[in-house]
Amino acid sequence: MQRHFVIVGILVIVMAVLIYIGLDSVGLMPVQASTQASDIDWMWNLEVIAMSFLFALIVVPLVYSLIVFRRREGDTTDAEHMEGNTKLEITWTILPLFVVMAFAYLGAVNLAETRRVDPEAMVVNVTGLQWSWTFEYPPVNGLTVVSDELHLPVGKQVLLRMTSNDVIHSFWVPEFRVKQDLVPGRITELRITPTLEGNYKVRCAELCGTAHYSMEKPVIVSSQADFDAWMTEQLALAEEASQTPEGRGEALVAASGCVACHSTNGSPGIGPTWLNLFGRQEALTDGSVVTADEAYIHESIRAPQAKIVAGFENQLMPAYDFTDEQIADIIAYIKTLK
Amino acid sequence: MNHTQEKKSMLSQGIIIFIYLAVLTGLEFFIAVSFNSVPLLVVVALVKAGLVVYYYMHIYKLNLESEKDDKSYNYKAGTNRLGLWLFLVSDSFVFGGLMVMRVNLLGLSRPELNQLLGLGVTAVLLVSSFFMNRGETMIHNGDRRGFLNNTLITFILGLGFLLGVVLVEWRIAIHEGITPDSGVAGAAFFMMTGMHAFHVFTGLILLAIIWFNGRRGLYDARNYPVEAAAVYWHFVDVVWIFFYPALYLIGTAVR
Amino acid sequence: MRRLNSVWRGLLLLAVGGMIGYGIGLGLDLLVTGALNYSGSVASAFALLVSVTAFFFGIYGYRGITRGLVWQVVGTLLGGFFVTGIRALLGSDTIFGTFFFSEPAWVFGALTGVVTFMFGVGVVADWVKWARGIDTPEHHEDEPGGGKYLDVSLDHKVIGIQYTVTALVLIAIGGTFALIFRTELAASQLQFLTTTFKLFNQTGPQFYNTIMSLHGIIMIISILLGISGIMNYAVPFLVGAHDMAFPRLNAFAYWISVPASVLLLMSLVLGGFDTGWTGYPPLSARAPVGMQMFFLGVFTAGWSSILGSLNVIATVVRMRAKGMSAMRLPIFVWASVATSIIALTATQLIGLSFQLVMFQRLFGMGFFDAAKGGNPVLFQHLFWFYSHPAVYVFVLPGLGIISELLPVFVRKPLFGYRWVAMSSLGIALVGFTVWAHHMFTSGMNEYLRVPFMYSTLLVAVPTGVKFFSWVATIWGGKITTPTPMLFVLGAIIVFLLGGLTGPPNAAIALDLHLHDTYFIVGHFHDTIFGGFIFPFFAAIYFWFPKATGRRMNEFWGKVHFWLMTPSFFVLTLGMMVIGLRGMRRRIVDYDPALGFDFTHLLMTIAGFLIALSVLIFVINLFHSIRHGEKAEGNVWNSRSPEWQVPSPMPVHNYDVPFEVVGEPYDYGLADSKYVQFNGHQGEKHPVTAEGAQH
Ligand code: HEA
Ligand code: HEA
Ligand code: HEC
Ligand code: CUA
Ligand SMILES: [Cu+2]
Repeated sequence: MQRHFVIVGILVIVMAVLIYIGLDSVGLMPVQASTQASDIDWMWNLEVIAMSFLFALIVVPLVYSLIVFRRREGDTTDAEHMEGNTKLEITWTILPLFVVMAFAYLGAVNLAETRRVDPEAMVVNVTGLQWSWTFEYPPVNGLTVVSDELHLPVGKQVLLRMTSNDVIHSFWVPEFRVKQDLVPGRITELRITPTLEGNYKVRCAELCGTAHYSMEKPVIVSSQADFDAWMTEQLALAEEASQTPEGRGEALVAASGCVACHSTNGSPGIGPTWLNLFGRQEALTDGSVVTADEAYIHESIRAPQAKIVAGFENQLMPAYDFTDEQIADIIAYIKTLK
Repeated sequence: MNHTQEKKSMLSQGIIIFIYLAVLTGLEFFIAVSFNSVPLLVVVALVKAGLVVYYYMHIYKLNLESEKDDKSYNYKAGTNRLGLWLFLVSDSFVFGGLMVMRVNLLGLSRPELNQLLGLGVTAVLLVSSFFMNRGETMIHNGDRRGFLNNTLITFILGLGFLLGVVLVEWRIAIHEGITPDSGVAGAAFFMMTGMHAFHVFTGLILLAIIWFNGRRGLYDARNYPVEAAAVYWHFVDVVWIFFYPALYLIGTAVR
Repeated sequence: MRRLNSVWRGLLLLAVGGMIGYGIGLGLDLLVTGALNYSGSVASAFALLVSVTAFFFGIYGYRGITRGLVWQVVGTLLGGFFVTGIRALLGSDTIFGTFFFSEPAWVFGALTGVVTFMFGVGVVADWVKWARGIDTPEHHEDEPGGGKYLDVSLDHKVIGIQYTVTALVLIAIGGTFALIFRTELAASQLQFLTTTFKLFNQTGPQFYNTIMSLHGIIMIISILLGISGIMNYAVPFLVGAHDMAFPRLNAFAYWISVPASVLLLMSLVLGGFDTGWTGYPPLSARAPVGMQMFFLGVFTAGWSSILGSLNVIATVVRMRAKGMSAMRLPIFVWASVATSIIALTATQLIGLSFQLVMFQRLFGMGFFDAAKGGNPVLFQHLFWFYSHPAVYVFVLPGLGIISELLPVFVRKPLFGYRWVAMSSLGIALVGFTVWAHHMFTSGMNEYLRVPFMYSTLLVAVPTGVKFFSWVATIWGGKITTPTPMLFVLGAIIVFLLGGLTGPPNAAIALDLHLHDTYFIVGHFHDTIFGGFIFPFFAAIYFWFPKATGRRMNEFWGKVHFWLMTPSFFVLTLGMMVIGLRGMRRRIVDYDPALGFDFTHLLMTIAGFLIALSVLIFVINLFHSIRHGEKAEGNVWNSRSPEWQVPSPMPVHNYDVPFEVVGEPYDYGLADSKYVQFNGHQGEKHPVTAEGAQH
């Protein structure tokens, strides 16, 4: 027996090391692009060590027994009677207890690391809606940039203040690791400090209906200079757009996420395409046909369920309470789509 | 103690417990009006519930050493008793969940309801529990007439409670603008009273069944069904012991 | 020959009934909407209801389950028309809805359908008699042969088998859904579930969401029925009872799961639902009517679970054989009790949470509607208060089976019996305090997350006790590996993998990365397969001879194992790897730039191989009932009481009551006995330990 214990002990350690090296060399995580990511990867590494060891600890003696202690041909006797061993049982209760408490403690410390606050952080307001994202940057000279891309300067903490218009969504950039739900009726916060320039994607991680799978938008981490340049450019564009009705309409549409459902180039989507919408004859579910004029489009936005276009019964458009001016802007924009 | 004395003492025990419960309910109302102290209200509700569970629902019977013969009526009644209690444990999780919902959504506020009516229906339900206990004790003692009369009174009071809540209370609330879709206060109120009323309703069906069967001469020595109906009826009362303060007494009233 | 005929007749009627139902539905739909909608819901709903009913009619005639289904269909229609009539009288502007009935009409109809099913099938007949003061005989005799399985029976063994077979049918349905969506996932881009795809009023991505959600919930219900099956079958004879404590309640608990399954299937055709099995509002407050069918189906199935577990506890407390003290209970009974405690209490909370959403939809009650002051996160608390402990409902019986079977095949006592028994209770109790680990990213109170991490990790300790005991049991044994033992060993390793991937999820910061990814999907397929599917198969292989007097084929059993296990590792390890690298859950399509195509392809192939192995199992199972090798004695040379009497088990289990005189697992101790039969050894002699035929 003594000999068996020694062999198994050695095998467990060898096996554990092999598993760990194997897992480590495969490289299981995406690139690390934020300080939060490096904290989390540190914890992950610890967990991998624990998992490798525990897996070996159980599986090696199991397989060893199967091979060494299997019943020999023709043997019909029972094995040696052994009911238990109180000391051993206490050990394998107490030891894991200490291990898990240690891990819980480390986990709490680790959580605190990822939540470390930088009072200088830039605040971006994030809105999730079926099935798009909008990002509202801090106002500059009374002008706010609203975009459906998230641009971030590298090395600077950003505080995302997030909410949702309709159902629960979840903000997740795998390269940043951290994830946070957007809940209607409340504001949730997430702090991220990007460390690596590059193009990533925010991917909605909470099932939010039909097009949940494609609720993705670019996240661009660039140098402070590039970020500032982008910001200046956006401010200029916003300034310019705000001059004409169709420009304001286009900006509003972009900020409200309408294009998540409505294409502007004729391709099919969740809702009818806006290409050639104005003046089009629309067949409705009740069998009648309407002309898409100002009044109809106005109603379609304020009370989308009043008249439903045939073929789109199953996916309801949320109602928007824009002002009359804003709707006029949107209609002006839709008119340009020919 | 001889047999008749024992019968007497069980009946008078029912009366004493009822007096305790009535006093505690008054105290509860008083606390709510004058201190509005939530911990005190919780304590009173717990004491009330404890009294009902022990004396009216005689939970201790679960522990009775039953006969060895597992084919006997008493042994089977013991098994049924355990089954019923398990069911009640399960059911109380529904009501517990409703309480959690209420606390989470309303916190220290409550729907603005008619206080007098609330106290009235609560009293009716409490009195019905008293008569239920009397009825049960009487069939135990072999007094069929008394059992039938008391069960009938229980049934009528129970019906009064049900109608009081569903017809009167709900009407008034809707009239006052507290409707199921008016906001969380209305939603919580209708959900909690609705679920409770549903249980009262099933309790009434059970009462009707034992009353009719009792009239036809069932339940002499084999009267476990009466006990079961009674325990269920008291359980519904216990739930109300918690729902009443939760809906009428705790916190400040809102629409 | 006659049997074959009836099956063919059933299939024929299935097709005919389906067409008739489809026609009726198409006609009604045309009347209401004025347009022909071939891939629509109404026609499919009617086709589903009529064809299933017709199938059982062909197999079994108008009695038992067929009568129940007919009554359910009629009840559903009557209930629906009742509400529709009321709406018409009240002058409601939408009397009919997109799915023929309006939503309230469907909900009420579905509810009456469930009630009428129970009356139709006849499980409540005795209770109605009791209420009218009429006594009924203690036992009903079942008809001999296979027919009794399609009718109400009060025998726990029949009910156990009914549960088990229903669970297998649901696994097949849920598995088929998995195969459909795995095919879609085999490569990036939309393959056939495209935006122009139309079925049951759903586009491709919507249909994906529906079948993915249904896969989850149907599999979960099948687990609940599967463990009820094993518990019903084994617990009474393990404790020496002649039946369960409440046979009628037992039958009721089984039969209510049948209309529940029908409702779940109805949700597929009535517009589906796209919320996952978790049904979070506000999304579930806006989904189509299928959502309500899902809620009602789970609600009804929940009652099956509650009443079944009530019965198990009462049976164990009241009906044990003489001398069977707490520390001499078979370990599986301990596990069953622990499971039942959870199922009895926590199940109410999932019922309640679903009920609240149903009412929010029907009456505009604003529980989870932020605009009305409601709180969407509250739903998650109520839901997980059940659904976390539920995962221990899934595994505790499975772990019990592992502990129960290991000693038999190792010929050594279970190492540390007491501690293993207590660890089941420990898992169950600690399991009640950990639910919010599913909500680390939900926006709940930040400071509550850390205590939930501690409690979650605490569960690893009692689970670890089981693992170490198993290893110590095997160590130094004399091991044989027939099919049940293979599945036991597979279960240990697979569950270990699943269990070990639990603590990383519990470390909050790490979970912020892992939440809602395929890593989680991998974690729970591992725990569920290791904790339920593998032990379930082990139990079926193990107790099959007890039920039929024949063995299942060893060769095909081994093929089943060696095909399923490696494929399974490919499936779940693949899930975990891509999950870590950024694969989200519940998506019909993934970004090709992520480079997951090849792994997904492998996983799809693995999924099909698992299905193939299950198919082999099913064929083996049904073939062996008639043609398996005879095995009427103590096949596995076990000490357990049920193996001391001949197989198949006699109707009332033990003709001679037994007394417990020793420890359950004292293998290797000369002259020790677990049970002793006290009766007259003349007419009904138990078989001897050597497995001799009598
Ligand atoms: C059968 C089911 C089952 C079981 C048994 C478990 C067991 C565990 N689960 Fe799992 N889990 C699920 C089914 C299950 N889970 C499901 C279905 C989901 C997803 C639901 C959904 O969202 O759809 C889920 C999700 C889930 C989450 C949420 C993830 C997320 O969505 O973000 C978490 C987080 O903490 C978690 C943790 C755990 C832990 C710590 C255990 C522990 O009980 C594991 C304990 C076991 C071991 C640890 C191994 C053996 C122990 C030893 C060898 C001793 C030594 C060990 C140590 C010292 C660590 N699980
Ligand atoms: C018991 C539980 C169980 C089981 C056994 C399985 C089995 C399988 N699961 Fe599933 N799964 C879940 C429970 C389970 N799953 C849950 C709870 C979810 C979460 C849902 C959600 O997010 O809401 C999920 C989600 C889930 C996903 C994630 C979907 C997504 O997030 O988008 C995937 C993806 O690959 C998957 C795959 C599979 C596969 C390939 C199998 C294979 O093992 C299936 C193999 C097929 C069979 C076992 C049946 C085959 C048999 C036959 C066809 C013949 C039988 C014939 C007769 C009886 C006559 N499952
Ligand atoms: C969740 C998806 C979704 C979003 C987001 C959405 N819509 Fe729609 N929209 C639809 C659907 C589906 C229809 C067709 C059904 C109907 O008529 O209501 C529709 C119809 C319309 C119509 C009528 C089109 C026609 O062909 O008759 C207009 C105009 C419109 N939407 C404008 C908007 C505007 C403006 C926004 C953003 C502020 C927006 N939509 C956001 C889904 C959406
Ligand atoms: Cu938004 Cu998923
Ligand atoms: Cu959990």
